[in-house]
Amino acid sequence: MKQGLRTFFLRHETILLLILVAEWCYFNSVGRHFGSLDNSFDIVRHSVEIGLLAVVMTPIILTGGIDLSVGSLLGLCAIVFGKLWRDAGWSVGSAAMGTVVLGALAGGLNATLITWLRLPPLIVTLGTYSLFRGVAEAVTQGVDTFTNFPASFLFIGQERWLGIPAQAPFFLLVAGVVWLLVHRTTWGRSWRAIGFSPEGARYAGIPVGRRLATVYVMAGIVAALAAIIYTARLGQAKADAGSGYELFAITAVVLGGTSIFGGTGSVHGTLLGVAAIAVLNNGLVHARQPREVGGMLTGLLLILTMAASVLPKMLAKARPTGHATGRNTQSQTNA
Amino acid sequence: MPPLLQLTAVTKSFGAVRALRGISFDLQAGEVHALLGENGAGKSTLIKVVTGAHQPDSGHLEIAGQRLTALNPTSAREAGIACIYQQPALFPDLTVAENIALRLGKTTPLCRVRWSEHRKRADELLRRIGADIDPGAEVRALSMPEQQLVEIACALGASARIVIMDEPTASLTQSEQQLLFGVVRNLRAAGVGVIYISHRLEEIFALADRVTVLRDGESVGTRPIGELNEAELIRLMIGREMAHIYPDRGGTPGEIVLAVKGLNCAAGGVRDVTLDLRAGEVLGLAGLVGAGRTELARVLFGITPADSGEIRLNGKPLRIGSPAEAVAQGIAYVPEDRRRHGVILEMPIADNMTMAVHARIFPGTWLRSGVERRLALDYIRDLGIKAYGPEAPGGSLSGGNQQKVALARWLATRPRVLILDEPTQGVDVGAKSEIHKLIRQLAQQGLAVLMISSDLPEVLGMSDRIAVMRGGTITAMLPGGANAHEVMAAALGQEEGNQGAA
Repeated sequence: MKQGLRTFFLRHETILLLILVAEWCYFNSVGRHFGSLDNSFDIVRHSVEIGLLAVVMTPIILTGGIDLSVGSLLGLCAIVFGKLWRDAGWSVGSAAMGTVVLGALAGGLNATLITWLRLPPLIVTLGTYSLFRGVAEAVTQGVDTFTNFPASFLFIGQERWLGIPAQAPFFLLVAGVVWLLVHRTTWGRSWRAIGFSPEGARYAGIPVGRRLATVYVMAGIVAALAAIIYTARLGQAKADAGSGYELFAITAVVLGGTSIFGGTGSVHGTLLGVAAIAVLNNGLVHARQPREVGGMLTGLLLILTMAASVLPKMLAKARPTGHATGRNTQSQTNA
Repeated sequence: MPPLLQLTAVTKSFGAVRALRGISFDLQAGEVHALLGENGAGKSTLIKVVTGAHQPDSGHLEIAGQRLTALNPTSAREAGIACIYQQPALFPDLTVAENIALRLGKTTPLCRVRWSEHRKRADELLRRIGADIDPGAEVRALSMPEQQLVEIACALGASARIVIMDEPTASLTQSEQQLLFGVVRNLRAAGVGVIYISHRLEEIFALADRVTVLRDGESVGTRPIGELNEAELIRLMIGREMAHIYPDRGGTPGEIVLAVKGLNCAAGGVRDVTLDLRAGEVLGLAGLVGAGRTELARVLFGITPADSGEIRLNGKPLRIGSPAEAVAQGIAYVPEDRRRHGVILEMPIADNMTMAVHARIFPGTWLRSGVERRLALDYIRDLGIKAYGPEAPGGSLSGGNQQKVALARWLATRPRVLILDEPTQGVDVGAKSEIHKLIRQLAQQGLAVLMISSDLPEVLGMSDRIAVMRGGTITAMLPGGANAHEVMAAALGQEEGNQGAA
């Protein structure tokens, strides 16, 4: 029992949850309106798009890969969505469908280059990172923006539905599906196996190429969804939408305890990571701190959390009775 | 005159494995001394002691009469010891001259690179061994033998007195071999001592002055080559008793399960392999390292798919393009490299055991931890796996137990063909005998087993039939009762006519 309690406190997710609670308590005491329901909803609204990207980035990083192109793809999808609706005269619904198809195709491009040509994901998505953004800028020639969307569409990004921000259900749905895939199906099991040892997975008869392709196509589809929600929230679509989001998403995933080398990690860890960053940045506004502080503290948060997660294990290992360490690694693997 | 190199009672152990058990060996100036032995006899370890890569546990070395307890790579080089490996260790993107200059590694003031001097020196060294190679060529563009000649030039440049050649002809054509032999004879004439390792007996008879045979980490004897013939050499190499008890064979093989005809795979180095495998039999696949045995298994398992040829399973022709397809057809492969391919060390053994049967035990892709746990517990019990539970990570188990986990993964697929690649390599004696019993049981249950092994007694003790591979193809098919001489002779490529003498 005592052992179990110690394991619980050593878990990365627990540390992150404690940090989140500490953040909340601190900002609640400093900022006057921080703890209000309105502000909580504000935090949710502002973190849904990055949250979507982070959630879908988790299986990619679990396989030992990375996708740097999701932010650029968000921009491209936002532009194409606007173009289909305004210039091609599609209904909002059809334009949204078209955008999701584009997202899937773009993810498919990444997947093809990675699995078929066997290029490293870092290089492939660094390429499509520039490519997608470049196409978005070419389409708008850098100046065109799309506005005046119907109120029924803006509802998704700005209003409440059943008392909660209207984009929240989309996020919960995606997070739920990805959580189930990662933690409760053979898909997630295969992704982890590939992350630990791609060759080992292949020798076990796992169709490595197909399993890998899935995570990148999924990322494309979710990036398109994020683009639509982004457009609805801001009421406009422009070519620089979502720039830098890929790094926020990766930060959240890593902060959430997923190993950048693949294999270990969890979707709920990622959710906590997104929350910790979102609460920090929102709280700083309420504490009347300049925006730059947010970036600084996000960086510090990442480094300190990782240190807090690693140090006890190192200390435990230094002692001859390293039992807790083994168990802890275990629980993370199974998480 | 003292010998160039003298090793006295050198021992070396790795953990519980005694690789060298008191070996004495000497090399004279101006001789070619061949070193022979089966895989694992201790040749590589001995070479590594001489090149300073390993330090001996006891015993000592003398170089030209100077006594040393150990060498390190730098002091070995300074003492004039050079080693030419089967795979030349040159930088492919640098030129021949640059590679030679790097190896000789003279420092100049301000570390300035003197290109013309490098070139001149390389040219001179290459001319000395009669090699027609442009010093300005990139090593990438050179053939394997040319690269070996560059290595030899490096050795000469370092004024090596002792040159070790580890299977230098393994990848050479006939005419390239002749060129190399010429170089070796020139070295000998110049007073260099050459330690020559090869599995090809005809080369040893053509080149060597003396031969030392190693077996199980001990020197069986050193003889002038004139006192030996091929049969005697082979007898020296394998003349060990079989201490290990193998399970009874029993049972008659059934139908042909796997029929392979004219199988080729250029990328895998497999050519024109024809083979039948019957239900209920253990077919041993013997041969030297590099003979193409693992490569054949990789083709059959779809890792490097075949270019041409026919594979039939229960009479039905099929194409195996990936391991996933092989698994679906009922072919299982327990790979040689357990830690890289056989088991995912970071994952629990339960996850490892179910990895190849996701579709069967997790219908609809949903994980069912109860089913998984039961399956794992069953195999842990049946195979006697020592682990603290199904959740133990694969890496926490000993080698033998990891091998059983790898085996369990494939038994769970209920295969029709089971390919085992070095099933007992690096496994302790107890686990080895358990694995042997298990293999026999599986065969008796009607499984067709193809067992690759470099452990000759294992091949002889376990196999119902023995296929011997050499140069990527099957050169002999021997009955289960074959003796070690026949297998070794076939593996070494000795003419069939000579077998009568053995």
